Amino acid sequence: MGIATSNKPFDERVKEAEADNFMRASVAKSQDAQFDKRTAARRELGNWEGWRDLSAQIRQHTIKYLPDYLEEFSDNVKKNGGHVFFAKDDKEASGFIKELAIKKHAKNVVKSKSMVTTEIDLDKTLLSIPGLALMETDLAEFILQEDNWDEPTHIVFPTLHKNRDQIQKVFQKIGYTGDNVPEHMAKFVRQYLRNYFMKADFGITGCNFAVANNGMINLVTNEGNADLTMAIPKTQVVVMGMERIVPSLKEAETLDNILSRSAVGQKLTSYCSFSSAKKVGEADGPDDFYVVIVDNGRSKMLNSEFEPMLQCIRCGSCLNVCPVYRQIGGKGYGSIYPGPMGDVLSPILGGYQQFRDLPYACSLCAACTETCPVKIPLHDLIRKHRYVEMDQLHLDHSMTNALLKTVGKGTASPALFADAMRGAHIGLKTFGKKTTEKDIKNLFPEGKVNHLPAIAPKLVHGWVDVRDLAVAPKYRENFRHWYKKNQQLTEEEQKND
Amino acid sequence: MTDFLKEADTAQNQEDFLNRIAKAANRPRHALADNPLEPVNELPETTLAGKSQDELLEIAKKNSEAVHVNFKVVKKADLGTTLDEFISEKDVNSLMLPSFAEEKWTDYSLNMWHQGLAIDPVYYWKPELGRENITNANKSDAAIGFADFLLAESGTITIATYPEQGRSFHFLPTHYLAIIPKSKILPRSRQAMDYYEKEIQAGNLATSNINFITGPSNSGDIEMVLIVGVHGPLDMEYVVVEDM
Amino acid sequence: MHLPRMHVYMKVCIFSTCIVDLLYPNVGKATVELLQRFGCETVVPSKQICCGQPTFNSGYDRESMATFKNQIDALLSIDADYIVGPSGSCVAMLHEYKDIFKDDPEYAEKAQVLYDKSYELTEFIYRVLGILDCGAELDDTATFHRSCHMTRLLGERTAPFVLLDHVKGLKMIPLHNIQLCCGFGGTFSAKEPLLSRAMVDDKADNVLKTKAHILIACEQSCLMNIGGRINRRQEGEHIKIMHIAEVLNHNVDPSRITYVKDTDHVMVPANGNGVF
Repeated sequence: MGIATSNKPFDERVKEAEADNFMRASVAKSQDAQFDKRTAARRELGNWEGWRDLSAQIRQHTIKYLPDYLEEFSDNVKKNGGHVFFAKDDKEASGFIKELAIKKHAKNVVKSKSMVTTEIDLDKTLLSIPGLALMETDLAEFILQEDNWDEPTHIVFPTLHKNRDQIQKVFQKIGYTGDNVPEHMAKFVRQYLRNYFMKADFGITGCNFAVANNGMINLVTNEGNADLTMAIPKTQVVVMGMERIVPSLKEAETLDNILSRSAVGQKLTSYCSFSSAKKVGEADGPDDFYVVIVDNGRSKMLNSEFEPMLQCIRCGSCLNVCPVYRQIGGKGYGSIYPGPMGDVLSPILGGYQQFRDLPYACSLCAACTETCPVKIPLHDLIRKHRYVEMDQLHLDHSMTNALLKTVGKGTASPALFADAMRGAHIGLKTFGKKTTEKDIKNLFPEGKVNHLPAIAPKLVHGWVDVRDLAVAPKYRENFRHWYKKNQQLTEEEQKND
Repeated sequence: MTDFLKEADTAQNQEDFLNRIAKAANRPRHALADNPLEPVNELPETTLAGKSQDELLEIAKKNSEAVHVNFKVVKKADLGTTLDEFISEKDVNSLMLPSFAEEKWTDYSLNMWHQGLAIDPVYYWKPELGRENITNANKSDAAIGFADFLLAESGTITIATYPEQGRSFHFLPTHYLAIIPKSKILPRSRQAMDYYEKEIQAGNLATSNINFITGPSNSGDIEMVLIVGVHGPLDMEYVVVEDM
Repeated sequence: MHLPRMHVYMKVCIFSTCIVDLLYPNVGKATVELLQRFGCETVVPSKQICCGQPTFNSGYDRESMATFKNQIDALLSIDADYIVGPSGSCVAMLHEYKDIFKDDPEYAEKAQVLYDKSYELTEFIYRVLGILDCGAELDDTATFHRSCHMTRLLGERTAPFVLLDHVKGLKMIPLHNIQLCCGFGGTFSAKEPLLSRAMVDDKADNVLKTKAHILIACEQSCLMNIGGRINRRQEGEHIKIMHIAEVLNHNVDPSRITYVKDTDHVMVPANGNGVF
């Protein structure tokens, strides 16, 4: 699929998302449910700030010494009998895996959920091999696949935008005859995919954390499909973003705890597994174990203001607290990485041209920064993207740009601001209406503006299109004048005392 | 077509990549030896520390039940009966067992029990059967296995893969029961990880795989409704042996 | 009017904020009256303008520098003990100058001084003055909108609730999903009107559901947004918008002003701990 899920303009996606009432209700419901679960899970652990400090430290440290840790990991994978391929971009990564699948005569490929394989468009690449069948085995990814490769809308819950009836229809196409009860549909998928697993010869997984000092990879899951993918096929390919590394099993263990609580509000997910190539004497697990380490734009973040983004452990909790994500879901963003982490990541990995709107799809409320378990200053990085777009790349040539530059001048010059205070009342009164008793109290003492001529600039229009604006007080009645008068009075009072 | 396959495991493929990112980071390579990670706190060690084994058992029970595990505490002498109950409750007609040496069964007073099982077939996970074990596990209604540890905080069992008890042993059978001595209950994942880390680095434990399993498989993928039992076992029972 | 002067003497520089200067004198008045009542001498430096968020948060870092410097110079032009503003968001922005100018030879030190001296109004009343009960009375029902920047960037999540709890006669009704942004977001509200509308509609729904008569906040900008939207929906007839300064300054009986007995525990600066 690549990073972009849609080429529609941002405004159009927002309108579509707004019209999708099921999606919006479902996202809101899930955010509220996750809020309770996540809060309880973190509170129960105790000293959450201390855990955040430790987790952030682990991530920052490994990013700082990334080449050293990757080297150690690579050496240990090979020591365990595995193989390592370093891929600088999506073409190299998916190209390598395609060649490997051809060489191994792969017929039945099983995949467990992995964002990075979506990012490098692996499914499509592999399906171009004649005679190869491929199955996404995570329940949500399987639904998307069977629904004509629909786009994911959440990094942890990819099918958040679908309801049980829509999912039932998808399964009916592959022979499901039961009702729409989630548990019944899951049983059907279990059997359907079990048959497939038993003949699988080539398994592909992602990687939550790679353990440098023993060459194991760590997967954190709930369904059990990832473990079957690592147990049954004779060949296993692990695809990992290059930053996904920890020094030892201990740090993996710490982060698994933090990830589970943040992502799904569980103390640990059902399966936290640490795995490498089959050892002599063992009966299952991969004979051939490959790790593909992917850069694909990540190195652009190194030594830049965006380096903290490499700390991300893909828990999705920033999506679950984001008030904008709540309104437009994943599809509004047009990226496989939506929400706050996507606002930061998408322009870096997919380019400002494609994703220039995302950093502005944010009210800078900082709920993401507050919840992030590895302390990424997400809202601040979003703001930094705006700086890159406006001050460095000069992407905006509209009236808004000119107006904001004027605002910049006006808020730097006491003389200009005095003019603004002087002109505010008359300026707004021109378009203003009288306040009536039907109006809200204490917000529009001098009248309200609820309509503007079409030629008004967007920066003013955008406000008045949605809300009423107060008419400014008369110049002689503004705060500064009142204060001067009050100050004189106070001084007189003091004299009289 | 570029031949990517030939590049795997080559020094050039690795060095090109690592030098490139070191340059992008503007940091020298091989600086880690002088700057090892020194954790800012010891929360993984101190959280839930200082509990007695009896307290840990209580915590483990509560947290296991919270993740839909059927939790039992029995005396060694009653273990066989408990397993028989499980077999009859789950209507088990084909059973998978590990092929640990007879001493292990004897330790748990289960030597007579497993030799006298009335079920047919009983599949033992045996290294010499190779991948046939996978097929057997898939045909088994249930697996009864031995866990290394039980973690009180999360209701998690931890198991390394052994030649006698492989990976899919824990995932393919429909029902699953794990036996854990009470003495092997640990406060949290950290203590288990300390053990595995130490044993692996010392070369005492040669395993390709460690599983931390917390209750039966589940999913929230359909409308975020919790579904228990997806690809892995549909249900799970922990049996803690009190006097071990 | 003769009000009792309190035992502390402090000189407080009023950081009025551009919204108060341009649109809402009532908020400025209440702020000054409150502080004077508590014995503070107030000063309003005339050259102050704006904290700079409109341009800075829109990506115009270079254009914002002159705005920041003007604000630093103006607010420090008077040798006051404290700088106090009726907006958590604007004060949080003043605090950010410290990072922005950390490598600036001329302004690094000034930005640090500004950081050390500046407080949001309720934070100042509760944590510096040590006041628990402002002596205000307001016999009505109200709900409180929590500002994102005040809570998460300034880290003040307690002071307004404590002070409102002590307003005589005021019944506070909890606001559902209080943690969600109202959709103001500065220029965001105008640049992304569709997104902002969806967000403020949610907030308005939750406010209306409380059936409270008064909507209170420490942030006049959020109130402009939520109140302005409620009014556009023509659902504001029975609702009054009040900045917290107006509430704490309402119908005051100075004899009821109460100080925290042991001020040690409130004197520590607010921070973002206890966050989930």
